[in-house]
Amino acid sequence: MANHSSSNLSRAFSDFVTRGVCIAKKDARIYYFKPQIVGFGILIPAFVYLSFSLGREIPPNLLIPGLVGMVSLFGASSIEAIAIPIERQTETWELLQIAPVSTLTIVFGKSLAGSAFGIMLSLITALGAVLLSGSTVTNPLMFVVAVIVGTFTFSALGMLVAAAAKDMPTANISLTALRLPMIFIGGVFMPIQALPLQLRVISYLTPLTYLVEALREAVAGPSIMFAVDAAVLLAWFIVLQSLAVLVLDKRSLTSRITIRSFLGK
Amino acid sequence: MIDVKDLMKRYGEVAAVDGVSFEVARGEFFGLLGPNGAGKTTTIRMLTSLTKPTSGSAKIAGRNCVTESLAVKRKIGVVSEVSNLYNEMSAWENLMFIGELYGVNKSTKVERAKQLLEVFQLYERRNDRVIGYSKGMKRRVRIAAALLHRPEVLFLDEPTSGLDVQSSRLIRSLVKGLNKEGMTIFLTTHYIDEADQLCDRVAIIRQGKIVVEDSPEKLKSSLQGEHIVEIAFDRNRSDIETLLRADPIVKDVTKEGDKYHVHTGRPSDVIKKMVQFAASNRLEIVSMSTKQPSLEDVFVKCTGLDAVQLERMELLRVVKASGQRG
Repeated sequence: MANHSSSNLSRAFSDFVTRGVCIAKKDARIYYFKPQIVGFGILIPAFVYLSFSLGREIPPNLLIPGLVGMVSLFGASSIEAIAIPIERQTETWELLQIAPVSTLTIVFGKSLAGSAFGIMLSLITALGAVLLSGSTVTNPLMFVVAVIVGTFTFSALGMLVAAAAKDMPTANISLTALRLPMIFIGGVFMPIQALPLQLRVISYLTPLTYLVEALREAVAGPSIMFAVDAAVLLAWFIVLQSLAVLVLDKRSLTSRITIRSFLGK
Repeated sequence: MIDVKDLMKRYGEVAAVDGVSFEVARGEFFGLLGPNGAGKTTTIRMLTSLTKPTSGSAKIAGRNCVTESLAVKRKIGVVSEVSNLYNEMSAWENLMFIGELYGVNKSTKVERAKQLLEVFQLYERRNDRVIGYSKGMKRRVRIAAALLHRPEVLFLDEPTSGLDVQSSRLIRSLVKGLNKEGMTIFLTTHYIDEADQLCDRVAIIRQGKIVVEDSPEKLKSSLQGEHIVEIAFDRNRSDIETLLRADPIVKDVTKEGDKYHVHTGRPSDVIKKMVQFAASNRLEIVSMSTKQPSLEDVFVKCTGLDAVQLERMELLRVVKASGQRG
């Protein structure tokens, strides 16, 4: 009996992962090279960083975590903020809904696509920054772990915003309105300790702060705080992912029906 | 195979589907007809586990559409009115993706995709991106995608809407073939002739309620007391319709193109009177024939829509569909 239920559970888990990866591969194939992704995911963070860092002396231990944190945020959150509105518009979203996969599987697959893009961009950025600045990352493993947890969190953030938004412009404006303040108070350009007390309190309410702190600990050397930062990021990921599932479920079962099928196709 | 009891969907005070009940047997071809906003798509969405009913129950192959939605989704194939495929991918890639989503193993999905694309006459174009396909080709790929996991029930929402004659014929013959092989098919269509040709049984839904449900032939025979005399004169006069209506044996007159449809319970008397009418009004009869009531006549009677409203409905639907595509 116990063996039977454990084999069912392992089969369900394997289906969850396989189908999630299948959705992620499809999203990567279709959306990674969309012009909007290049704009919102790569060019905006590059311009923002250049405009604040050019002409200033930023030490490598501040530069690498800040830059990589920002690239993770923009890269990972952009994919689904573009993909979900496009899929709703073209009604390919319904292809996923009518398939025998749970909303959690769809959200997992899409998070995977967003985070894989964010990881790729973050690691390329980190490598470039290390080579150009001549500095080192004391604990590369911790650095990669922080990037992975952080990008999953930001991908879930992008998905939640896209799930709640009515179209692509709304999703991108809402996301930009969330991302820009996070950059200024998340320790990207200056250490959090240098912020006024009120802003410091707010900065601890945003996930980017914990990613930048975790990356800083990985660059500087092992610290007990790394585990705390990673755990907070993980908690953010679970909360954002769960909210995305709830919003997508609610929207798919109510509002689209009232608009499309009830009032006439 | 499909068992629906007192199914209801309310949006606030309004009931989109209002206590609908019907059964569809295994292997049956069932059609749901009704004007826009009658509740067809809401019914289909509840049956395919995309919308939760407010009350009532819907079961497919014994599985509850709400509490066992994943099990239901494994047993059904759904083709919506819009050919929702990934335009950036080829037909082959779309089928491979959907096969994986349904858990079809690699060798099986390759074999079935090849077979389906050959049947749908698309195998040669399998590696072309879907964005370059015609509407008819996209619809065929979409149907192939819905069949890849070998569903027990196929839901078709307006499968031939807006397609050219050749594509429509091909799709009709394919779904007829699938039904002959034993697949249960649930169809919604605006083309009443299509339902007449394909369905074993149809239900007509109006304002969320099923007003009539039977085989097309039985429904037509329910109007047996009513005949239509179709008549065309050599020239048009604006008062012909009024003059024809004045006769007490004429129930109704509708004009379709250059022909008048005279609805009556006494066709032979109407024919005699038409000849007299033509002579006294110096009109020449170009053609005259009698017709049995069609399923469209049943539809018109049940929904209260006349021919002009049906035309408007179709026009509105085409405009909306082209708006969505644009």
